Amino acid sequence: MKSNDVLGVIFSNSCEDTLTELTAHRTTASVPIGGKYRMIDFVLSNMANSNVNNVGIIAKSGFMSLMDHIGSGSAWDLSKKRSGVKILPPYAGVNFANKIETLYQLRGYISEATENYVLLSESNIVFNIDYTELFYLHSVNEADITLLYKNMKVPEKLMPVTVKHDNVGKVEKVFIQPEVKGNCNLWLGSLLIGKELFLDLITKAMSENELNFNRLVQKWVDEYSVFAYECPGHCDIISSMNEYFRFNMSLMDADLRKELFQYDRPIYTKVRDDAPCKYGLTSSVKNSLVSQGCFIEGEVENCIISKGVHIKKGAKVSNCIIMQDTEIGKDCNLSYLIIDKDVVISDNKSMMGADSFPIHIEKKSVIN
Amino acid sequence: MIPKQKVVAMVLAGGQGSRLGVLTKKLAKPAVPFGGKYRIIDFPLSNCVNSGIEAVGILTQYQPLVLNEYIGNGQPWDLDGMHSGVNCLSPYEAVGGADWYSGTANAIYQNISYIDRYNPDYVLILSGDHIYKMDYNDMLEYHKKNKAACTIAAIDVPKEEASRFGILNTNKDGSIYEFDEKPAHPKSTNASMGIYIFSWKELRKYLIDDANDPDSSNDFGKNVLPTMLDAGERMFAYPFEGYWKDVGTIDSLWEANMDLLDPNVGLDLNQVYSRNPMMPPHYIADGVKLQNSLIADGCNVQGDLEFSILFAGVTVGKGAVINSSIIMPGAVIEEGAKVEFAIVAENAHIGKNAVVGADPESVKNRDDWGVTVIGDNLTIGDNVVVPPKAMIDKNMEVEK
Repeated sequence: MKSNDVLGVIFSNSCEDTLTELTAHRTTASVPIGGKYRMIDFVLSNMANSNVNNVGIIAKSGFMSLMDHIGSGSAWDLSKKRSGVKILPPYAGVNFANKIETLYQLRGYISEATENYVLLSESNIVFNIDYTELFYLHSVNEADITLLYKNMKVPEKLMPVTVKHDNVGKVEKVFIQPEVKGNCNLWLGSLLIGKELFLDLITKAMSENELNFNRLVQKWVDEYSVFAYECPGHCDIISSMNEYFRFNMSLMDADLRKELFQYDRPIYTKVRDDAPCKYGLTSSVKNSLVSQGCFIEGEVENCIISKGVHIKKGAKVSNCIIMQDTEIGKDCNLSYLIIDKDVVISDNKSMMGADSFPIHIEKKSVIN
Repeated sequence: MIPKQKVVAMVLAGGQGSRLGVLTKKLAKPAVPFGGKYRIIDFPLSNCVNSGIEAVGILTQYQPLVLNEYIGNGQPWDLDGMHSGVNCLSPYEAVGGADWYSGTANAIYQNISYIDRYNPDYVLILSGDHIYKMDYNDMLEYHKKNKAACTIAAIDVPKEEASRFGILNTNKDGSIYEFDEKPAHPKSTNASMGIYIFSWKELRKYLIDDANDPDSSNDFGKNVLPTMLDAGERMFAYPFEGYWKDVGTIDSLWEANMDLLDPNVGLDLNQVYSRNPMMPPHYIADGVKLQNSLIADGCNVQGDLEFSILFAGVTVGKGAVINSSIIMPGAVIEEGAKVEFAIVAENAHIGKNAVVGADPESVKNRDDWGVTVIGDNLTIGDNVVVPPKAMIDKNMEVEK
């Protein structure tokens, strides 16, 4: 099978219930991450880099920021005659209540696509993967379905679905919410399947009122040839505020950055024409990631700073994630905060969270 | 047929820029990196789109590969319209033979048919090697108001520098009565910025006349403009106030970069468009001293930095010190290296404990001092000392 024979379908609201404040006004897919990225940039760039040229992003609610981010798709090179990315919102008054119903409603879109395979994915996986190996093994194995998994710890607040496979990778059993100690073969919620089969299975599930997607996958293992493919390289699932905080901070590790942001498989994101970051005469920066368009005059330690942030003179900011265009006043003292977009914190403010409980400051807050 | 464009901009980008030495060995001057993530050409191109000019021809001749690739389809500057946009125009072969662009005027002459397609009222001639931000509409209004055939943007320069420029001597109403090219005794401090607006009908005529004159060197400054003035055309100097710098020399290129770090200099980088690096944010390690610098995405900074500019993807090793320098994309400065008052070109590699350039204060004879330049993709070995003012175009190792 060829990569360009695969239709990518991404769920934009993965884990939105457990990402709480971050997804209050936006989809999981458009949660800012890693300084200059949005969560979906990873899976979308992976697809684009693997020649999956036609991608649909399922949007349930609050998808303004997602639409703004994706735009025409040109940032991912997905706006050509023979490629494209579409946002698929609910329509004709139908709610996207659960995955099966959603996919059932979208069967028209899926069947009209010229591609013969469907690659489903969540939007909250942080990884850099070349899918072509998965595609290759899918056809070598003559699999009906290939599940993407990773041997890893279960991320906080994630309901684990695990796979047990034999030594050639054929899945023997899928477990839903098993008791897990240490690492397990965690299904990443991503799978590859032939399009016609997929449409049949979804229609059948609807007719049988089987509306739990995990249970459906569990059932498929008995009836079809299901294989498992382990995601090579680093993989994180952003399932909670703590996981979000931890992952961002883990980017201080040069080796991880090297693995995630590869030269020949770049992670793309919407382009903003920011100037390089400017450091003033009074700046002091330690162990931090800083994006373009910032102006740093204060002291920064262990922080992830997004585009266009201004940290004024005398401010001390440590262990914070600061999203774009936020302004931090003079002589502020901040630590363990997740400061959302366009926040203004006036001079002389002190605010503190804890390592195990970073405090979120809502988008566009003005703290006087 | 394509829709009419009121103004077509033509950017002169064909010169070698030999005074930039090793920096323009493999690329044209307008493609030289500037300001941490830009190339010089970004400034005129951004000025054009910000002024609503959507048809831009870039005249290329010397080493056009990097420039052509960078411009691409013009999308980063919004110059990828359906009927307009940016085109790189190289000399070409036609019936009767092929000619290189023999001068600035000849480059436009050879592209008369490119301009005619748009049926413009005005043509804006720009240089591809100036750093400035300008709304060309104001100049165009001035041109229209004066019913001029040609308007030349002029900037007030310090008296002692005036003899380096083309000086425009004007009447009270701004009309030009004399061109004084690099005068020994300048009558005024009104320097031409090399930005011209012509009414296309007039210019077209003069270009054809100029091409038919075998004695002409086909240059705007030397031939076309004086001819127009002699013929009694209405020519005006448009006074421009703001930052403007010709970055044709190593010193001026270095200074213009340093100006970005000076809060008292009125050059901001808002709305200057460029191709953007696809790299993660830059990383600043623990224990780093960092002052008054510009850093682009993708850098890994483990050493100290002051008054310096790092382009995308630069690596600075532990204990390295960079002072008053410009480090272009992808360059690596190894541990313990010291880079002062230098320009390190793309993907150059400075070895451990190497010393590149020097502080002017540390040099006994000021005439021996200058900005040090390391060419692109070169390797400066461990412990090598590169003196101030040196221009390096080959790899260097410590002699054993």
